[in-house]
Amino acid sequence: MSDFARQQAEFQRGILDGDDTVLAEILDSPREKRDVLFGVYRYAYGSRLVEAMRNDHELLHLYLGDEMFDEMGHAYVKARPSNHPNLRWFSQGLPEFLKSTAPYAEHPELSDLAALEKALNDAFDAAEGRVVELADMAGFAPEVWSSLRFKPHPSASRLDVATNAAAIWLALKNEETPPEAAALEQPLHLLIWRQDSTPMFRELSAEEAMMWDEAANGIPFGVLCEMLATYDDPDGAAGRGAGYLHGWITAGLLTDVSVGS
Amino acid sequence: MNVASRLPDSSAAPLADRPVTSEKPAFLGFGLGLRHQHYDEILSGHPPIDWFEVISENYMLPGGQPLRTLDRIRERYPVVMHGVSMSIASTAPPNFDYLQALKDLAGRVEPKWVSDHLCWTGVHGKNLHDLLPIPYTQEALNHVVSRVQLVQDFLGRAIVLENVSTYVQFNNSEMTEWEFLSELSRRSGCWLLFDVNNVYVSAFNHGYDPLTFLNGIPADRVVQFHMAGHSHMGTHIVDTHDHPVCEDVWELYAAALRRFGRVSTMIERDDNIPPLDELLLEVARTREMAEKILPMGTPPG
Repeated sequence: MSDFARQQAEFQRGILDGDDTVLAEILDSPREKRDVLFGVYRYAYGSRLVEAMRNDHELLHLYLGDEMFDEMGHAYVKARPSNHPNLRWFSQGLPEFLKSTAPYAEHPELSDLAALEKALNDAFDAAEGRVVELADMAGFAPEVWSSLRFKPHPSASRLDVATNAAAIWLALKNEETPPEAAALEQPLHLLIWRQDSTPMFRELSAEEAMMWDEAANGIPFGVLCEMLATYDDPDGAAGRGAGYLHGWITAGLLTDVSVGS
Repeated sequence: MNVASRLPDSSAAPLADRPVTSEKPAFLGFGLGLRHQHYDEILSGHPPIDWFEVISENYMLPGGQPLRTLDRIRERYPVVMHGVSMSIASTAPPNFDYLQALKDLAGRVEPKWVSDHLCWTGVHGKNLHDLLPIPYTQEALNHVVSRVQLVQDFLGRAIVLENVSTYVQFNNSEMTEWEFLSELSRRSGCWLLFDVNNVYVSAFNHGYDPLTFLNGIPADRVVQFHMAGHSHMGTHIVDTHDHPVCEDVWELYAAALRRFGRVSTMIERDDNIPPLDELLLEVARTREMAEKILPMGTPPG
């Protein structure tokens, strides 16, 4: 290892691990001791990353308050140093961290809230994609409808939450007092996407969530309707399927519809 | 991506000096760092700003509103790209994924130039998201020269590198920062972004005269000035970019104008972002001082 490489490795350890080895190669300034000056880098590291997390998770920050958010943020910074050149992606692992790390794991609404914010952030700057219009559907002859396959817009994603995190999110967004955190009897199915430039989410019934997930996997419309028939009134399955599809198209959730084999 | 095999080996002995002979970028006038807080105001009016500098990483994204807005700004104003993560002085292997994303963005934006900092941001797969200092040694210089050459080859353009604010100096430095920058620019052909505030901050922190730094930089290599504010801690200054430009830095800007001539200048505010009008006053002052100090017809520096 070159001298330059060794020095950088020691400098980095000094910031990440509090190792003082590098101080032996640093000069005092005319007005200040080297450990104070090196401390500028140590302090900036944690505070910059936690600030990036605050920007990505404004409502989680609001929910936890400054002190608890910062404590959580520094724990995340310590556990998961950044390995990407773009700060935009630093907080991506936060929902999983909150789900798996004490004491946050004891409050599952934190992980759910972080996951919802992450999904909205990801929708905000997701790739562009054509949006299927209702008029596009008129081009398909009735006999091919059962073999239609659907491709979600690149900004669309699904999230299931086991807590009332969506209600907490909504209250915080509206500057209202959030409800007490609570576990749900049944998971809540959420669909997140970007309409024009605005990230949105909405709740799906268990049936619509199933149809969306299967449609996103490339299952054709005819099979989707057969699946719906196992969920509820079989006679109304095609109508319900057409209704969900209409909703997806008017919300700009699909980027392509094609006749599959 | 595996493109390293098609590029010069950056870890070997220093390559022969290979200054890029690209034409010096044209003088753009007096600009501002583009921040999302000002998007609507900029697009709904025509503020008197000659050009914008954008933080490259803020737009190295798949899509959405940031890139769409940048496209609209680009239709109206010249833009330069300023990155914070090239890590040109890192001893870690070059990050070609990053460089490809930067090149792709440059292909979309067609910036007047692409800049970053003379610093490193991490090694061993980690990124500290800070502009970290280097020792000014011959070994470091050889390494950075070869790395700049590699990046310039990859991007297909000469890059612009900025002096950073530093808080520590290494005891093994063999030359001054300005000697290092001068040699780097001469040997690699990169241009220099002279951050007036950073010179002031580093000079205070390390106890030298900022004019010595200023006079040590070759005038013909500087293509851009940054003007910014900082936080004074008594024994040292931290480059926070969250305050207006202070009077001492305005004085140093006057000296920079006298030495470097007309240089594209911009106000860089990264935090505690004020209303656009407040920053426009600072932009106006950069312009007024340049017009007062430099006689009509003074050629670009």
